[in-house]
Amino acid sequence: MNSVVLESVSKVFRHRPALFNWLGRERRGETRALDVVSLSVPAGRVLVLLGPNGSGKTSILKLVSTMLLPDSGRVLVEGADTLREGHRVRKHVGFAVASERSFFPRLSARENLNFFAALDDVPRKLRGEKIDEVLAQTGLLEAADTLVMKFSSGMYQRLGIARALIKEPSILLLDEPTRSLDPVSATHFWHLVRGLSERAATVMLATHSFTEAVAVGHFVAVLYQGSLVGCGPLSSYTTVDELRSLYFETTGELEEVGEMAVRAGA
Amino acid sequence: MNLSSLLDKMAAVARRDLLTAIRYRTGFFALAGSATVELAAFYYLSRAVGPAFRPQGFDYFPFLLVGTGFYAFLVKGVNAFLTTVADAQQTGTLEVLMTTATPPTLLIFMSAVSAFAGSALELVLYLATGLIVFGAPLHPNWLGCAVIFTLSLVLAIAIGIGAAALQLAIQKGSAVLWLLGSGTWLLTGTLFPVSSLPKALRSFSALIPITHSLDGMRLALLQGVPFAFLGREVVTLGLFCLLLLPFSLLVFSYTLRRARLEGTLSFY
Repeated sequence: MNSVVLESVSKVFRHRPALFNWLGRERRGETRALDVVSLSVPAGRVLVLLGPNGSGKTSILKLVSTMLLPDSGRVLVEGADTLREGHRVRKHVGFAVASERSFFPRLSARENLNFFAALDDVPRKLRGEKIDEVLAQTGLLEAADTLVMKFSSGMYQRLGIARALIKEPSILLLDEPTRSLDPVSATHFWHLVRGLSERAATVMLATHSFTEAVAVGHFVAVLYQGSLVGCGPLSSYTTVDELRSLYFETTGELEEVGEMAVRAGA
Repeated sequence: MNLSSLLDKMAAVARRDLLTAIRYRTGFFALAGSATVELAAFYYLSRAVGPAFRPQGFDYFPFLLVGTGFYAFLVKGVNAFLTTVADAQQTGTLEVLMTTATPPTLLIFMSAVSAFAGSALELVLYLATGLIVFGAPLHPNWLGCAVIFTLSLVLAIAIGIGAAALQLAIQKGSAVLWLLGSGTWLLTGTLFPVSSLPKALRSFSALIPITHSLDGMRLALLQGVPFAFLGREVVTLGLFCLLLLPFSLLVFSYTLRRARLEGTLSFY
């Protein structure tokens, strides 16, 4: 049974320059973020999305969360179509976004979580306990009553993960979740993700880290310029080097890096 | 969604807004001070104009008190919807809020109602200051006040949802709203009676719902006219509500869907 299915999904962002464009020369035309991408994620599994910047990883996560809607194709989440049944989809999905700017700065971490928990229908009686639990899981318990405007990047990132976890989603979307975390916190987080999938949660995780991909992933999908160029299982025997080779083979980036190295050497 | 869940969400939104407001301490006190100074200016203006000037049969100071107080309440309410969306765009919370289990329209509505509650408190303080400090004579017909207030509130919500849609669509709704706000300030009889305007502008002012809100509230609060005498204002406001509320809800749903399709939810 698949929790998430993308069927021939395409997404194009159109650039509509401002008036008097000759003043600033804003870009025209369009960016093809996703080009007929199809993939599926079985329930209780972790799919890692790999790809260079602008390859479409975040667009896929946003499409699954209903932040974005597809131009063509279908996105199904637990059987519900994101275009027609957005409300049903949003009950299942928790999304830890990469941006730090997604909290109310003059509320504490606990107050922010309490607010989002209410909107996500977490029962009032359980809320306090759940908030303490996710704060502990993300190592933020001591900073629970600090206003979030005083947080560091890493703390924001952990709070974002806590917010995504609080509704106990059946599908968890993580956009570069360990980008600002120190190595110990990152390792702790990988255990957390594995634990979630053992409890039947489906996870989609976008990252640039091969180590992270190998540590948590059951499957990997490699994206390049909006197209899916590689997809397959990650066994417990897959090494970081093997994954790195697969990545550079499928994206063709190794040749570019090689050419740049030659040029730099020359 | 059941009532208890709705109230729980409403409480969460109100708590967020209250905590944010009291943590901006200076803004809170500046607001109270500026209202008193504004009323003092109106009081001395009305004395300078003299008792012979009685717009629509009212003393000038109470005319100004109700006009400016109620106008500010309605406009701030409308603005609250726009600010809710604009703040969420700027703090980066909009995208995340739009992926919670709470329907987006309800979320915007709750945030604005919370802001309305703050504006209602300001209105009560404003009127109380006018009454106690400057001795404005009020003769309220409470039922009339309640009906006009409720209909005006629904109207402000309808216009506010439209303003929120505008902010989603062009990310600079405040500019358009400022233009509309200046126009309504001139045309709705806030500072002077509509009868002072040229004929062409007078007919235009009749098409603005706030004109009827101010007329109705002045009659109910200052003259205490029986409910039956408020019929014209009540029917006009009711018709505006029936037309504008479904229309603005449709427009909001459409612009939200467009923003999701174009990927502009996080733009500001």
